[in-house]
Amino acid sequence: MILLTANWSHIWMVTLLGFGLVFLLLVVLIYVLKLFGFIMRPRIKMEKPAEVPEAVGAPRTESSKTITLTGEATAAIAMALHLYYNGVHDEEHTQVTIRKVERRYSPWNSKLYGMNNLHRY
Amino acid sequence: MKAIKYIILSLTMMLSMGIMAQEAAVLNEATAAATAEENLSVQEETAAVAEFAPVGAAEEDNVWQEMLDFFQTMGFINIDWRQLLMLCISFFLLYLAIKKQYEPLLLLPIAFGMLLTNLPGANMFHSELWTAFLDPNSPAYHSYGAILKEGGLLDVLYIGVKAGVYPCLIFIGVGAMTDFGPLIANPKSLLLGAAAQIGIFLTFLCANAFGFTEAQAGSIGIIGGADGPTSIFLTSRLAPELLGPIAIAAYSYMALVPVIQPPIMRALTTKKERAIKMKQLRAVSKTEKVVFPIMVTTVVALILPDAAPLIGCLMLGNLMKECGVVDRLSKTAQNELMNIVVIFLGLSVGATATGQSFLNIQTILILVMGIVAFGCGSAGGVLLAKLMNVFSKEKINPLIGSAGVSAVPMAARVSQTVGQEENPGNFLLMHAMGPNVAGVIGSAVAAGLLLTFLG
Repeated sequence: MILLTANWSHIWMVTLLGFGLVFLLLVVLIYVLKLFGFIMRPRIKMEKPAEVPEAVGAPRTESSKTITLTGEATAAIAMALHLYYNGVHDEEHTQVTIRKVERRYSPWNSKLYGMNNLHRY
Repeated sequence: MKAIKYIILSLTMMLSMGIMAQEAAVLNEATAAATAEENLSVQEETAAVAEFAPVGAAEEDNVWQEMLDFFQTMGFINIDWRQLLMLCISFFLLYLAIKKQYEPLLLLPIAFGMLLTNLPGANMFHSELWTAFLDPNSPAYHSYGAILKEGGLLDVLYIGVKAGVYPCLIFIGVGAMTDFGPLIANPKSLLLGAAAQIGIFLTFLCANAFGFTEAQAGSIGIIGGADGPTSIFLTSRLAPELLGPIAIAAYSYMALVPVIQPPIMRALTTKKERAIKMKQLRAVSKTEKVVFPIMVTTVVALILPDAAPLIGCLMLGNLMKECGVVDRLSKTAQNELMNIVVIFLGLSVGATATGQSFLNIQTILILVMGIVAFGCGSAGGVLLAKLMNVFSKEKINPLIGSAGVSAVPMAARVSQTVGQEENPGNFLLMHAMGPNVAGVIGSAVAAGLLLTFLG
């Protein structure tokens, strides 16, 4: 009975139109973001080194090879450098305190048996 | 042990006194009618006797009557089984919040609100005032003045929910704490956020089939968005009578994301799919992050004005965070404002869970349909990610699709955990944050649409 009394045409309309519109609106946002990203994408300009013409027949040196690094490799190198430089730098004790130094009694540092009593002998 | 003994002893004494008072009250009522006729003649006699009676006896009677009156006002006397059961439920929720730490920031105030509202005689929340507030034939129809005049503390706090203020203020805080960078870097995430909203609309259909009105069905469906403030915002507009059960269902399922989602994710994906490694996201400039909230607010509010309060507040918070010139405002939105509003929202939502409104078959149906909505939403995101893999060159790990239901950042963390079970070197967290924040936008848009169609 409940199923019959409900206005199913409206319910289906809300369901399909609602879900469709959520999708549509977010798809619109995707294109807006893509366009926006295309315009605003950060561009890092790398200065190209001046090309030096290689001598004909000269052996290919190590420096002329291109090196490609993945993000993970870069992160690993950065971490290794960070740890290395942390280890190299000596850490200074930065605490400055005035601490009373108490030494245990010993006849070797006693004033009674020290220089002042020499005249007794 | 001694303290417990004294407490039990005092409680027993209070109970026995209360029962005596109740019996006396019943006896009084029964005899009142019978004695009414005799009163005239007795009055004449007592008037004659009183001249000679000692004064102390009359005073003793007065003291005894006052004590009886006092005991009749006690909660122990007036409590009914529904309130007692609701008190037990609130104790259980407090246990979950404190001991198990299930969404304690919200569950604790909600549970305490439930405790306060179900204390008989405390008069902190009056559901009858709010019924009159919604009744066009009542003189108190849409009159906040009547609420302020006759309401208790929780009634006054509830005005913020009714006016839709608290969810929007919370969204300012959420925006100030959210990084939309992963979404800007990978705009396709928005598709996953949209797919996960299927739970809302499927549950809307189910709830209609179970005999709920369309407005109530829309409010139940929004649980599938896994977004507490959005659920409260929509329900307070469409079906305020269901606010208590819906808020509790929404926040409980958000806390249970690590339990509900992994079985669905594993069932819908293969081992190979779960182990897919995704390409690192591109860097996002500060300008992009600053312009994004302004642009989204403008686009969404122009297309769907009903979603403007939620999306606008979310993006305002985010703009304050990203622009870097209003650091104080951003910090306030993230901390003080958010915390104060959470206390008010939690207490007033918990206050709506009275025995009469909570303990019925509707609540059980809402809880069941809420979990269906949540499961369908998670499945929708995963399935769309699999579909996208068929057509696109760059493979997407389908596990990030389940993060399309909001529940920020819990759902993204679940994607990361399940992904690392298959491949410990796989870091999906930032990839999953994209669909996760897209889910927040998606559920706010879905709420705006439901408000437009059903409001």
